[in-house]
Amino acid sequence: MSTVPATPRRHAAQESMMTTPQTTRVASSHIVQSSPHYPTTRRHSLYGTEDRIILDPGSRIWKVGFSGEGKARDVFYAGGEGGQSLWTLNRASKPADREEEDRVLEAKLEACLRSVFHNSLLTDPKSRKVILVEHPLLPLHIKEIMARILFNNLQVPSISFASSHLLALLAAGRVTGLVLDCGHLESSVLPIFSFRPLYPHLRTTPLAGARLSTHIKALLLMFGTYIPPATSLSATMNIPAATRSTRVPQDVLTDKVIDEIKTRICFVGEPLDTEGPSQSMSPGPGDDLDLPPSDPAMSESEFSRVSADIDSNFSSQHAGSSSYSVVSHSQLAGMEHGQSAQSGVQVLATMYSRHSTATDIHMRVDPPPSQQTGTGRGTLIIPGWIRERAAEVLFEGGDVDESSVAEVILDTLLKVPVDLRKTLASSILVIGGTPMLPGFIPRLQAELTRAVSQTSNSTSSSAAPSRAGKARPAVYDRYAALRPLLPYFAILNNPAPPPPASANASANAGKVPAFTPAMMAWVGGSLAGALKTGGVEVQREKWDEAEAQSDEDVPMDSSPPRPAGGAGVRSSPAKNILPDWTRTPLPVGAPPAARPPGAAMSSPSVQVAG
Amino acid sequence: MAPKIEYYCPCLSESPHPPPPNRPSSSYSFHPLHNLFFCEECDAVRCNRCVSVEVSGYYCPNCLFEVPSASVRAEKNRCARNCFLCPNCRNTLTVVPSDPPEDVDSRMSPIVSTTLGEPPFFLYCNHCRWDSAEVGITFEKPTGLAAQLQKFEDSAPESLEFERLKEHFEPFLRASSSSSALPSASSHHVHTNPITAAASSALARDIPGVGKYNPLSRSRVGREKGAHRQEYPDYKSRVEVGTALSGEADVEFLRHLETVSQVAALEQRWTNSWVSPLSASDLKPLRIPLQSKKSKRCPSCRHILIKPEQKAQSVRFKIKLVAANYLPAIAVTLPHAQAAIEMLKRTSKTTSAAAQAEEQQAAGALIAGHSYSFHLAFTNPLYDPIQIRLAKAIAPAQTAEGDEAAERARRSTFQIQLPSAAFPVGAFAEAWEYDDEDEAMFLDDDGMEVVEARGKKGKDGRGKTRSVGIVEKRANVTIVSGEVLIPKEARGDVKFNMLVSYTYRSDDPEPSEEAQTGTPSRSHGANKGPEMKNFSFYTVVDLGSIMYREEPKLTADL
Repeated sequence: MSTVPATPRRHAAQESMMTTPQTTRVASSHIVQSSPHYPTTRRHSLYGTEDRIILDPGSRIWKVGFSGEGKARDVFYAGGEGGQSLWTLNRASKPADREEEDRVLEAKLEACLRSVFHNSLLTDPKSRKVILVEHPLLPLHIKEIMARILFNNLQVPSISFASSHLLALLAAGRVTGLVLDCGHLESSVLPIFSFRPLYPHLRTTPLAGARLSTHIKALLLMFGTYIPPATSLSATMNIPAATRSTRVPQDVLTDKVIDEIKTRICFVGEPLDTEGPSQSMSPGPGDDLDLPPSDPAMSESEFSRVSADIDSNFSSQHAGSSSYSVVSHSQLAGMEHGQSAQSGVQVLATMYSRHSTATDIHMRVDPPPSQQTGTGRGTLIIPGWIRERAAEVLFEGGDVDESSVAEVILDTLLKVPVDLRKTLASSILVIGGTPMLPGFIPRLQAELTRAVSQTSNSTSSSAAPSRAGKARPAVYDRYAALRPLLPYFAILNNPAPPPPASANASANAGKVPAFTPAMMAWVGGSLAGALKTGGVEVQREKWDEAEAQSDEDVPMDSSPPRPAGGAGVRSSPAKNILPDWTRTPLPVGAPPAARPPGAAMSSPSVQVAG
Repeated sequence: MAPKIEYYCPCLSESPHPPPPNRPSSSYSFHPLHNLFFCEECDAVRCNRCVSVEVSGYYCPNCLFEVPSASVRAEKNRCARNCFLCPNCRNTLTVVPSDPPEDVDSRMSPIVSTTLGEPPFFLYCNHCRWDSAEVGITFEKPTGLAAQLQKFEDSAPESLEFERLKEHFEPFLRASSSSSALPSASSHHVHTNPITAAASSALARDIPGVGKYNPLSRSRVGREKGAHRQEYPDYKSRVEVGTALSGEADVEFLRHLETVSQVAALEQRWTNSWVSPLSASDLKPLRIPLQSKKSKRCPSCRHILIKPEQKAQSVRFKIKLVAANYLPAIAVTLPHAQAAIEMLKRTSKTTSAAAQAEEQQAAGALIAGHSYSFHLAFTNPLYDPIQIRLAKAIAPAQTAEGDEAAERARRSTFQIQLPSAAFPVGAFAEAWEYDDEDEAMFLDDDGMEVVEARGKKGKDGRGKTRSVGIVEKRANVTIVSGEVLIPKEARGDVKFNMLVSYTYRSDDPEPSEEAQTGTPSRSHGANKGPEMKNFSFYTVVDLGSIMYREEPKLTADL
């Protein structure tokens, strides 16, 4: 603009062409200025400006608080009292449905975020920087929605994004480790070396809290007992409870009831085969499974088939263990699988219940709405073995797409460069809500050992009996490369570490502060905030600028008019401003440096993922 | 379900039109009138989703003590006096003294006071009979309990460990100050350029047992990591998880569990960041969280919309610009449902409440293939009469594309008839000011016929005449009638957006004077001489869902 008065006349023609970009630039700067950025009426603030707000938004449970504090101020169900998750692993396939889904999500997130500031923390969002603890696989559209609400609606001055795995490691006092986050929707493993997350080696499995919930529900539908409330008070005296007991109606098992069962009375037992390896190796499984003869569901052939399955299951983790998977995949539809599946599950149930000393629990539940005629609440009887063995679903491997929680750790270890494996294997950190189940972490340790050490075991045993008459092909030894690491496996926050097999393991197992796995990431965020670091920071000026720019762009390049959706979808303006590891440019520019002799064995797949 | 009406708040969106009413997301844009504010500067409705909220004071909801903001932070938004919640039932705890001792030597205690009772004091829940002596919390004196507990909280393991962690990492971060280990400023690319980054991460890794080789003359990253390697051994925890609380104990506890209630619920444990016992008997009393008085501002012009009085005991507001003082209140009723309910009340007195509710619902149902009239009662909050005009909002056409259009066509199959002419609503006045004689109480004789002539006239199955127009007019309330015609194949909810525009006189000095004394009036802002102003807003009217009675074939083809 300043050139205009000084320009000689002959430039007039050129100038007319050049004015357009200039005016737009001026306009854009106006927009930036007029944006209600940080008004001059700066109020006295309660907290130092460096005190930041740590948000750990999960799909179900949010943890919020101030940096520099040892525990979160508030923890709440984000999806309402029922504990529904805000988002799932799926999105609607139709664009219209998806837009609608996003609008609902935005409205819910907005309510959550506003309540975080106004009800939980009682603070003014305009003066508080925010650290958003993000899962590495938090969908970008959700991240964008959250940033949009925080910047536009709440007008926070800046947001920092920090990886939950990294922060959890920070809370453990480490800078290197293999972090397993077992949350609600999925479990993911991220190796971190010297503060740098190796994102390309991230591995996930959908075996997590949500799967555990459906599994508990399926088990209860099959093996639970429900005693409806007596129809009248006199009936409670006259009719014994046993005659009233029925199968569990589906309506009784609301998400809330399942959640209560999961969080209050479930735990993880030790692996079964540790108590008797000789039994599982023995050729005759009959003594292992002397079922009550009165069981009508068992025909002789089925019995042998199932017991063979269990036998093979005991001996080899990888042989298709149909009996396990029947249970895990019988999600509500499991009962219709047919007789053989039923009996297989039955055998498993019998086995579990024989080995479990956990008590049966009577729980008072609300009767289903269709039977609301009785006196008071019904009783749900949860067998003790379900409490102990429901979490088996998380440790049961063999599926290529859904590796067990132990396998996903091992898969990651296979992916990381060999020279990191030993370090990482001896510093495994387990975080997330599902590991809050008592016994989860010790069991994971046992499963890791089993999965790595087992294959040699099974090759010998599978060669010997050859039950079906033909020799089995050599089992694919997936984790052979990891077997030398066996003495080094150590879980940092194992509350009951096994006797250490190596110096590395003894220096690490169970040596981190006793923060709960669920809060680790939040505590790390609080620590990062107190240390005045904490991920990539996006200032609101930047966001406003990007939004103003995209506002100019939008009418030009996207000619179809926006849906008149009120507070509906706005085109995501500052898409490129939000940092995300998936957007980091691959380091293509790295020259093929001459390989030093020492580092020659490092795999070429190492990338910067910071 | 009773029919209801909600008001639309545009929430600073670009489009003034409300979203189609049938989307699940639309319900978030509509609010009951009593939740809305009105900004006089912007002349617009504001809702709780878009206003910006400021804390104007903190107070404890139990003791109503106004907490000075300086201590709010130190006390972590909790009451620092004597207010505690029961950990089991969230009831307020009371301080009770111990039983008077029989023996003499405990009388030696220095603060024995007959009025206060005998120490030790403990907290007691009047609802579930929990008492704090169970978890070993007793007090020497019955006041300042929080201060007495403070020393335990200060020495909480998580905060001590946290400080230690901070000390552990601080020198490390300071050493790598400019390029902090967690990239703090600007971008991912703290490590300057991708070449250095890639090279250093590929080559400058610490390989146990292998000497460091660094072709790029000791890049920054390599140096800082080296520093860490040499000077910073692994963090030594104050309390290690392996020794803190044995996981075995928890497993054993759960294995022999008798009842669910022995274990603390998730909600009672989940704020703990430190491993803590599972059992419900170990729960500690909770300090009551503070609440705040909030003032709310218009998001666009920053004017205060609502501001409470400072005192915690006061429930009044210094500034209160609520939409109910500006927009006419609308109540929607279905006359046939009300008649049915009346009938039910008269006939069935003996049936159970649940059954009665069910019958009422059935009676008030909208059955496909019939037409119903509905009444909209407009109440004018202004000191001037207003003229209201109704229109069914037509969704903007541009979104209609492909299957969405088909969907809309299918959904909006029902026909809505609204009175097309403007109708008056009388001015608001105190109840005794209305003159009973000249009040046009029953317009039915002439008014009805007029509207029948121009409105749609139809007969439903029962042969009763229905009409669209003014039904009743009294004081500052006018009831108009509309009609909904539901074809046989319609389904879903009868829910439609309605544009309400009203004209008011914005000149009168008299109401503006009254506005200062009593209810604020819309004419307060503009004083440019006699002028009619117009304001319109959107609402969504939900008459209920369509029921099927005798057409099972309709559900088959869905």
